[in-house]
Amino acid sequence: MNAPADMTAPPRKLTLDEWDARYAQLARAGLCEPDYGGPLRRHVLLEGDLRLRQLRFDNSAAALRLWKFLLTENQRLHAARARGEKIIGAMKDLGTVPVMAYSLPGLRAFYPDGAWWTPCLMECSDGLLQQAEQLGIDASFCPVRAMLAAFQNGEHFPRPDALICSTGAVCDDFSAIAQRLEKMGFPIIWWEMPRRRPPDPGETACALPGDLSAPEVQVDCVREELERIGQVLSGLAGQPLDTDTLARGIHQANQVRRLLAALRRSVYTSPGAPLPALELLVAEMLALHFCSDREETVGVLTDLLAEAEGRLRQGQFVVAPDAVRVFWVNPVADLRAMNLLEDWGGRVCGSDYMFTHALDLIPEDLPPLEALARTALADPMVGSTLERARRIVADCRAGRAEAVVVSRIPGASHCAREGAIIRDVVRAELGIPTIELEVPPISDAMLPTLASRLQALLETAKARR
Amino acid sequence: MEVFCTSPWVPPEWIKAHGLEPRGVWLARDFACEPLPLSAGVCAFANAAVRLAERQGQSAVIFTTHCDQLRRGFDTVAEAPPSRIFLFNLPVTWQTPVAERIFRDELRRLGQFLIGLGGHAPTTGELVEIMAQYSEARRRLLAAASWCPARAYAEAVARFHLDGSVHLPERGCPQPQRPRSVPGGEVCERLADTEPAAAGDSRAPGAGSVPLALVGGPLPQSQMPLLDAIEKAGGRVVLNATEAGERSLWHASPLDQGQLDLALLARGWLANCVDVFQRPNTRLYDWLRERLTARSVRGIVLWHYVGCDLWRAEAQPLRTAFGLPVLLLDADETAPQRNAGRLEAFLESLR
Repeated sequence: MNAPADMTAPPRKLTLDEWDARYAQLARAGLCEPDYGGPLRRHVLLEGDLRLRQLRFDNSAAALRLWKFLLTENQRLHAARARGEKIIGAMKDLGTVPVMAYSLPGLRAFYPDGAWWTPCLMECSDGLLQQAEQLGIDASFCPVRAMLAAFQNGEHFPRPDALICSTGAVCDDFSAIAQRLEKMGFPIIWWEMPRRRPPDPGETACALPGDLSAPEVQVDCVREELERIGQVLSGLAGQPLDTDTLARGIHQANQVRRLLAALRRSVYTSPGAPLPALELLVAEMLALHFCSDREETVGVLTDLLAEAEGRLRQGQFVVAPDAVRVFWVNPVADLRAMNLLEDWGGRVCGSDYMFTHALDLIPEDLPPLEALARTALADPMVGSTLERARRIVADCRAGRAEAVVVSRIPGASHCAREGAIIRDVVRAELGIPTIELEVPPISDAMLPTLASRLQALLETAKARR
Repeated sequence: MEVFCTSPWVPPEWIKAHGLEPRGVWLARDFACEPLPLSAGVCAFANAAVRLAERQGQSAVIFTTHCDQLRRGFDTVAEAPPSRIFLFNLPVTWQTPVAERIFRDELRRLGQFLIGLGGHAPTTGELVEIMAQYSEARRRLLAAASWCPARAYAEAVARFHLDGSVHLPERGCPQPQRPRSVPGGEVCERLADTEPAAAGDSRAPGAGSVPLALVGGPLPQSQMPLLDAIEKAGGRVVLNATEAGERSLWHASPLDQGQLDLALLARGWLANCVDVFQRPNTRLYDWLRERLTARSVRGIVLWHYVGCDLWRAEAQPLRTAFGLPVLLLDADETAPQRNAGRLEAFLESLR
């Protein structure tokens, strides 16, 4: 961890150009970097991550480590393959299968779904969306269609040794794209995720993380499915995923979740934001599959938490306390949107990026597979939108949100209705202004529209103070 | 009480055996018959289901989980009292015991829901008799697929889903000439008395028309003029593989007279589900392959509602799997004539 006094600087956001100078400063001050370290600009020059030129980044060494960790994932996966590790492509469940995979030695899990950000990072120079269109998956589908082309051209992540995809109560886009992938010659192990429902009278209820509940029959079904997945992973690892092994894996996953919970709490509840929304978004994503390195994730989050806490002790904020506190729903296809919110006078005080179940602790007082099944069933996208909205309301209260933004993902089937339902509940329960807006993978052409709508929301919220 | 179903995979026999009247929505009178202002990405069929649930104060409506649109459509009406709305969790996988367990449990839950609406627990005898009636009706409809004109056939199958009855024209005639008996011996109304005539086009399928398969999602009554448009353009739908078309006419296994075994029922009914949402959806392709070959189909019209990703994504796989040209058509409430031009061009290319 890097924390000598001459490494710190008043918190602010830097452009990529400014980061060149900052990196040189940190290097002179003795910056200790992991082996994936280096200047951010390297990713523009060598990998075509052109969007970095438009983003603004927190100026801390901890943020640099976070970004480098994120941007080097594909190299990490290729290196793991070269060492003989088995690569598991987990799909859609967002936080469940990787917990199992990382419990076993020699397995490395990631979400190919994450390729949805490649067109943003590479400003569409990757050609993935165009290639997906040639495969019959056009812009009427969600940007996750980039995943299909990434599999076809093999230019990003290595071809996984196994693809394990949850299906059932999942968004149609992803289900259709995954089925298309299978037809292209990538075998998929499907597992059923039933649509979560409250227990009926007379049914045994099981408590789920996130203050939810489901009938025992649904938990049993998911547990059986995870058992089947566990056997697949055991076969790949060459050793059984027994109870103790999985329990240890859950414990280590919870270590990540605890760090993230502390980070979110310190940032989202503070008067001003000690870290920017963009870095928090990226940090939250680490909960899903640990960016293909669980141990390093702990280091990255520890650094970020220390930075945030240090800034809070000093009363230093990268976003001023008078910024409008905004609860953000759904991840943005263009990372730049998180910068823009702050540029225009807002800050994120809470979030639901569609995987709150990957942030909650997995119970450790239950048999591990049962605990994982309950946690998987707590996926906000698997149950009713009303339940999701109620959690959003609760989190808004905790973060003292003054406004809610529901970010539509272009073409995503679940976005057609969920925004209206969420906004109705938020308005009824909290009476704060809400907005629904669509953020495409490159939002530059839409900046005037986004600006006017977001600024109007923020002004409305401020006027209510 | 009437119980409207938005999916053919919820067994109507189960509803009937509980003493209530199953009604498939595809021919329901006030279903999907007006253009609606839709927000971006909302499926018109799912929206029509929501409107039906809102309007039918004295009936129940069963939504199914097989697509995002219906699942979230349910969310918009689920909390409105009294609870006459049910969400049936259709398993997407089909190769594991878990899928059967889910389906079995959903049948149990649906049964309790129906009893709560005033129905009764089914006896084995009742269920056996009703299943036999529905099986016979499906058998007759399946047998008619080879000769019945496309529009009349679509209406006949939709009528079966609506009330279990079978209305088929006499061979060689586009409209039924006399009433047909329905299960239970009740005489049904004449189709000509209750439904609009087939768009004034009384041609029987003839030589020279191109045999086509119509594959895809729901085709409610308001969209059935599509079949007339296909014929007018020189095509002949020899395979109606829409959601509530021939694909939905499955045979139920005979039920053992001795015992009402929900597990066996679930297994039998689930085994017959053939749809795009299944994972993998190889069953759909196997089902299509057999019939496309047997009926010498020369082109596929892939029909879907705007916003339906599940069907839209299958356009290229269908082309690749069967080596047939595929025309993608969507239900456009605002421009129904748009499809006519595309159909004509498609059929021109097939001649």
